Amino acid sequence: MNLRLRLLLTTAAVAVPMVAGLVWLDARSRHRAAEEALARLTRERFERPEAQARCEADPVAWGVPRMPGAMGDRPPGPTPPPGGPPTPGGPPAHGPGGPPPGMPRAAPPRFFAYDRALTSRDPAAPRLAAGTAAALAEGDWAAVDRATFDERVEVLLRSPWPDGPCAYVLVRGTTPRGFIGAILPASELWLAPLAATLIAVLVAVGPVVGRIRRLTADVRRSAAGGFVEAPAVAGADEVRQLGDAFVAASAEVRRQLAARDDRERALREFLANTTHDVMIPLTVLTQHLASLRADVRTREPAELDEVVARAMDEAHYLAALIHNLSVAARVDVAEPRLERAPIDLNALVARVVARHRPVAAERGIELDSGVPEAAVIVDADLTLLEQAVSNVVYNAIRYNRRGGHVAVVLDRDDGRFVLRVLDDGPGIPPPDLGSLIRRGFRSDAARTRTTGGHGGHGIGLHITHTVARLHAYQLTFTNREPSGLEVELAGPLPPPAAATA
Amino acid sequence: MSDRVLLIEDDRELGAQIVATLHKAGFGVTWWTEGRVPDPTTIDLLIVDLMLPGMYGLDILKALRATSDTPALVLSARNDTSDKIRALKLGADDYMTKPFWPEELVERVRARLRRPTLARNDVIEVGPLRIGLAERQVWVGERAVELTRAEFELLATLARRPGAAVTRAALVDAAIDADRDGAERTLDVHVSRLRKKLGDAGMIQTVWGVGYRLAGSAPT
Repeated sequence: MNLRLRLLLTTAAVAVPMVAGLVWLDARSRHRAAEEALARLTRERFERPEAQARCEADPVAWGVPRMPGAMGDRPPGPTPPPGGPPTPGGPPAHGPGGPPPGMPRAAPPRFFAYDRALTSRDPAAPRLAAGTAAALAEGDWAAVDRATFDERVEVLLRSPWPDGPCAYVLVRGTTPRGFIGAILPASELWLAPLAATLIAVLVAVGPVVGRIRRLTADVRRSAAGGFVEAPAVAGADEVRQLGDAFVAASAEVRRQLAARDDRERALREFLANTTHDVMIPLTVLTQHLASLRADVRTREPAELDEVVARAMDEAHYLAALIHNLSVAARVDVAEPRLERAPIDLNALVARVVARHRPVAAERGIELDSGVPEAAVIVDADLTLLEQAVSNVVYNAIRYNRRGGHVAVVLDRDDGRFVLRVLDDGPGIPPPDLGSLIRRGFRSDAARTRTTGGHGGHGIGLHITHTVARLHAYQLTFTNREPSGLEVELAGPLPPPAAATA
Repeated sequence: MSDRVLLIEDDRELGAQIVATLHKAGFGVTWWTEGRVPDPTTIDLLIVDLMLPGMYGLDILKALRATSDTPALVLSARNDTSDKIRALKLGADDYMTKPFWPEELVERVRARLRRPTLARNDVIEVGPLRIGLAERQVWVGERAVELTRAEFELLATLARRPGAAVTRAALVDAAIDADRDGAERTLDVHVSRLRKKLGDAGMIQTVWGVGYRLAGSAPT
């Protein structure tokens, strides 16, 4: 349903019952006024000289009054002309304003006399129900016929002569002819403003509908063009506000689309880099396996052992790299989300140590760990924290020499956990140590595969930094004496109640 | 009797490797390639992959935990936090992220099958050592050893977790009155005296970077 039709129907739905109600009210008023006029007319007849005698002598003749002048000049029942008989000086019989001159006259009233038992000698008198007189208990007259839209009006009165055939008198008259006129103007002119209002509403809504249609077209065009061009709406009304709201909404849509494009681009870049990163160790591993296969019959076992060890190393690196890349995909985004849960750090340390022990053993490095007897529970993201710790341990192993040591030590210290990874490797030259602590590693620089020394701590340390920052844990790097590095990760323990939850 | 391990892993190659590794390590292994709920009375340990045909690993775990405390080790290729947290919440004792080394697997399986030391036991026995916690008395074989309070606490702390390295901080915490004895350095003095009194140089091992460890394994 369009706006215009809706408005038309709404207006009609309000106006039609209102007009009907007024017409009904008008009819009620006309009836009421006619009843009052008839009652007054009858009382005047009672007070005429010899009224009682004439009535009792011939009720039928009395009931058809001989009016002065022609029959048609008789004031129409309830509506005698002002000043005219039989109501000289009386208040106008009609409702407010009285009937306008020239209004059609009503038929003259007819009186029917009844005795106390409500029987009449007049054969034309209507039969009255036995209970009708009871209606007179309150006042001295009562309306008998109450049909609102009937012209006929009947009023029953008690006469001053309770004995005899004229104890009660029923007077029958009519309302003035015509449709309305009691409280509504008799002329239908009053319908004109109503119609005018209706038309004004429809006319006024026209430009609004037009503006909305234009806006709709603009919005469709804007949508078709990928929301690049915002619709322009003039004016200062609600339609303008609607247009503005759409402009704001389309700006937001464009922003989100741009963000999505950025993410897609970043993802494509990430995948390309990841492929590169993974392919290199995989290639090295493939070379190792190939040379192993070529040499397995010709070389000494001791020589082959060296190739196997390096192949294992490469596979281990590959696994760590892929784990780090998947973690990087989670943390290197605009708003990284942590999936925090209570985590048993003792178990985490055990897993990390178990993961790296085979490679440590292969490299001749002693890897040990110590944890408190009671489980240390922290609220953290399991995957991220485990990978962060794993990276530190892996680096400690990778940069150590044969016969070196790596230790993972977990302690509880005054409401905090302190996780330290110590090694007796070369450590980090102080200038680099400073930069390591200050800014961590940017991912681009950190992704570079190591070519020796400390330069290639790689993506692992970057992940560790990021994870520590996301958890608001402290990560510190300290060189040990006489040599080696100590990496400390420390953070708050949740209150005991939360830890057991 | 060797421990009975049930492996549920749908990848043939990986499954065969795991079975071979565990056999070599002395475990009896049953291998299923489809997910269904095992009878807990027939196994000592469950190793279950998460992504399985038939029934998800987590559902198997849930069904198993409804009736039994059989240790369960979850294998996961997806390094995903919510998977692991759910597995642990559903009663997995541990998980392993693929890829893993054979030695790593054996170590983790052993750790899960290790019977816990009887807690609140008044007497701890490790190798020739016997430690009466109630009467605060230590014997090496038949020989009673007189220990100071600090030495006894040190030994008891180490003996509660035989084979595990105990951090220096934990030992200091347990045995040394920091106000009177001062720094952690005292710890080494106490350990050195303890070693002398126990007579066997190999029993208390120094663990580089961590602290000390009492050699030996828990009584099974």
